[in-house]
Amino acid sequence: MKSVATTVVTAADAAGRFPSQNDLEAVQGNIQRAAARLEAAEKLAEGLDKVTKEAGDACFSKYPYLKQAGEAGENQTKVDKCYRDIAHYLRLINYCLVVGGTGPLDEWGIAGAREVYRTLRLPTAAYVEALTFTRDRACSPRDMSPQALNEFKSYLDYAINALS
Amino acid sequence: MLDAFSRAVVSADAKTAPIGGGELAALRNYVAEGNKRLDAVNAITSNASCIVSDAVTGMICENTGLIQAGGNCYPNRRMAACLRDGEIVLRYISYALLAGDASVLDDRCLNGLKETYIALGVPLQSAGRAVAIMKASSTAHINETNTSGTNPVETRFRKMETVKGDCSALVAEAASYFDRVIGALS
Repeated sequence: MKSVATTVVTAADAAGRFPSQNDLEAVQGNIQRAAARLEAAEKLAEGLDKVTKEAGDACFSKYPYLKQAGEAGENQTKVDKCYRDIAHYLRLINYCLVVGGTGPLDEWGIAGAREVYRTLRLPTAAYVEALTFTRDRACSPRDMSPQALNEFKSYLDYAINALS
Repeated sequence: MLDAFSRAVVSADAKTAPIGGGELAALRNYVAEGNKRLDAVNAITSNASCIVSDAVTGMICENTGLIQAGGNCYPNRRMAACLRDGEIVLRYISYALLAGDASVLDDRCLNGLKETYIALGVPLQSAGRAVAIMKASSTAHINETNTSGTNPVETRFRKMETVKGDCSALVAEAASYFDRVIGALS
């Protein structure tokens, strides 16, 4: 799993040297920014179910055709799976906020997603809408502090860009 | 390879649960104690050659057969290999301490080490003893409880010039990585 500490250690190991002063400074820089992203992770974990519901509702209200027969949300079981997928992306963003890098989203969310959605004939636009709604809905100080919000939105944007 | 943060992520993913509350408190502690950790890594890396050579010397002093003909530190070529291995083990321990997780030590250093040593005829007990001396010396450097020993005019004696604080948690963590190596060799 990629993070600042593992990247630094991998580089040091490839060169066969002890962690240098530069490596320690890199980890220190990461630690200084950690408070904001851990706050964002905590707030997101607390409100995960509510955020998921709002995002899913926004998605189905923008694309009501999805609930027609033959579409991705034609019955309640399929609708539930849509909400589950949104919760899945938000959980991965929670992990990214903890690690301080895009590793979890890359490895468990984005890799292969396009191929899976094509095979299952699912529209990625619906996911983009759900995540975009979440991004625009989140605000400070109601949800979290400005710096934490910044971290949260940057990972939402990363997922949106990967899906669009 | 994992660090303290990605370890939390991997175990949360196994439960498909987001990370909140209790797990975050442990990570916040890692962040709050971050500078201590970096000082601890620095205490090991800055004194690495001293720690390694002292450990190998100590190991040989306790068992002088090692440097007599037929011993495993005779001739210089094998002594050099011994010093090199001590440095490698200490290096991976410093990585583990920096990352706050033992996975790098397990995957890249300890996996198959015992089997390799048995195949090469390296005495595991002596290797374990050298690691034990490195543990004593490294933890003393982290905690700044190192002394000049029995020689009052020892000129190579050195203390790190850091602010004193409670480093007991870090010392225990570092000691656990040394114990992990000793456990893997026995």
